[in-house]
Amino acid sequence: MSAARLGLPDLGVGVGLRVPHYRYVVEQKPAMDFFEIISENFMVDGGRPRHHLARVLEQYRVVQHGVSLGIAGPEPLDREYLARLKRLVREVKPPWLSDHFCWCGAGGAHLHDLLPIPYTRQAIARVVERAKQVQDFLELPFALENTSSYLEFESSTLSEWEFIGEIAERANIGILFDLNNVYVSAYNHGFDPYEFVECVPHERIVQIHLAGHTNLGDYIIDTHRGHVIDEVWNLYRRTLELTGPVSTLIEWDDEIPSFDVLVAEAEKARTIRQRVLGGERLEAIARGAPPRSAAPREDAHGWQQGGPRETAHDGSTP
Amino acid sequence: MKRSDPNRGEPAQGNPQPKNELDELQFFFAEQLRKRRALPKDAELSERARSIVRATGRLSAVERLEIYREQFWLRHTASLVEDFPGLSGILGQAAWEDLIEGYLEVHPPRSFTLRDLGLELPEYVEARPDLAQHALCCDMARLERAYLELFDAADATPLNAAALAAIPEAAWENARIELSPTLRLLEVEYPVAELRQRVFLARDGGIELLLASPEKQRLLLFRRDLSLFHEAVAAGAFALLRSLTQRVPLVAACERAQAEIPEEAASVAANVGAWFADWTARGFIASIEV
Repeated sequence: MSAARLGLPDLGVGVGLRVPHYRYVVEQKPAMDFFEIISENFMVDGGRPRHHLARVLEQYRVVQHGVSLGIAGPEPLDREYLARLKRLVREVKPPWLSDHFCWCGAGGAHLHDLLPIPYTRQAIARVVERAKQVQDFLELPFALENTSSYLEFESSTLSEWEFIGEIAERANIGILFDLNNVYVSAYNHGFDPYEFVECVPHERIVQIHLAGHTNLGDYIIDTHRGHVIDEVWNLYRRTLELTGPVSTLIEWDDEIPSFDVLVAEAEKARTIRQRVLGGERLEAIARGAPPRSAAPREDAHGWQQGGPRETAHDGSTP
Repeated sequence: MKRSDPNRGEPAQGNPQPKNELDELQFFFAEQLRKRRALPKDAELSERARSIVRATGRLSAVERLEIYREQFWLRHTASLVEDFPGLSGILGQAAWEDLIEGYLEVHPPRSFTLRDLGLELPEYVEARPDLAQHALCCDMARLERAYLELFDAADATPLNAAALAAIPEAAWENARIELSPTLRLLEVEYPVAELRQRVFLARDGGIELLLASPEKQRLLLFRRDLSLFHEAVAAGAFALLRSLTQRVPLVAACERAQAEIPEEAASVAANVGAWFADWTARGFIASIEV
């Protein structure tokens, strides 16, 4: 049995650091337990992204989250990508680093998506081997996040929780447990999200993600748009009962609101943590049926994990 | 923790092909995502998709693949329009969509970062003479790529006055000037930097965009205080800077500039001292190798 969170610290409740808030955070220095950055947005040589990162690092604890590793892809890990990632790690000095249980492309193309993996022994072997290599190479604890998916493969022989649990155990890595992704995938595939929550290896959960999504009726897209819905807050309560205190992060990547809205969402998570970890037990959690209650709300346009990257047009259009 | 080679035991990259069942599934999946139009619901694809993807009561196997295909195009076209607002503004919606769909077919994304997605777009535009306002589009694409590169180029500490003063007089003839990585030179046939600003005004203000007439310009593009700027410069100064970027020693660079543009020879001779002082003061000179 591993130590809780693999011995990693509980950082409290943080939010994802996104482009529209860079200036506010740097200048106003709002109180926040920690920020999570998207690694790829800062794997550049200089300019405004690196300037903002340096200012944030002066004030806050920062964890790194990646979206481009593609650990389960058909091609070998990208050596140059990892070298650049390691240079950033040396600067940021995060307590851990995460990416996703996914692949990102094939045949040399990088599709910039978190593509689903068939839950097979062959895929487990591939991801375990590479996760060990990444953790060794980066020389810091590594975690992978369960993704939202919009399809399942006929070749899958395991449940998602069996798949990620076995990889985490065999590679000796952490799990970044995204409860919105649990909900989205449960809705899209018709399983009970509480079964996922109950069966994932709790002691390996080093961080939790919470976010909103876009319900299109026939399926949900993980847009990270809008508030965390009540069903996902309930999954959070149950997860905390099983894990104890775990660093928790609010993600909001599309139609990003003012920073105070994120602070309020983080405060809600903090209140739930205090209540659950303070001994309040939740007896009335609905379980047993796939989530079906959310009504279709809106369309989903092109979105990307981590929100938009900083570009030349953010306030300094030449 | 020990260090290890992340590619240990893996074959070298290059012309990758599927090697096993998992690879074949991923290659098939990736191929469907990159298709330009909605996946057909014909018998052949449906049968193949059903053998790989589980249908639900709500969605067929093809419809579930289509979710990913649609997102591929939305994500990448949104990224390109963010990086090339001037070019998309000139072309208009329909021609822009046609251009970038063709571009993404010929140049599928290969970098881990969307920041690199449009780096080959100027060459693709160059190879599309069928585009309306082709020369203008070529200039705008090159300008916007330069802005992309400048935005997050390496920060450089500019040469300070003390370092400059310490260079012996005799060393100047063979001195090689290292220009700042936050500086680019661009020669254009149209005033695209001004036009790009008008594209923003037209987009944000809902006013008609009037395209520019030809006007040859030699532009200095640079980053200062984290913001990007452009500035038209004299032909002689431009020629001198271009030679310096090619690591030609200072005196030889001056001679080359005078030979390239004879009508500016006197101006180069008269102004080189002032230009150099100005470029140094503005941080354009990163170092001098003597």
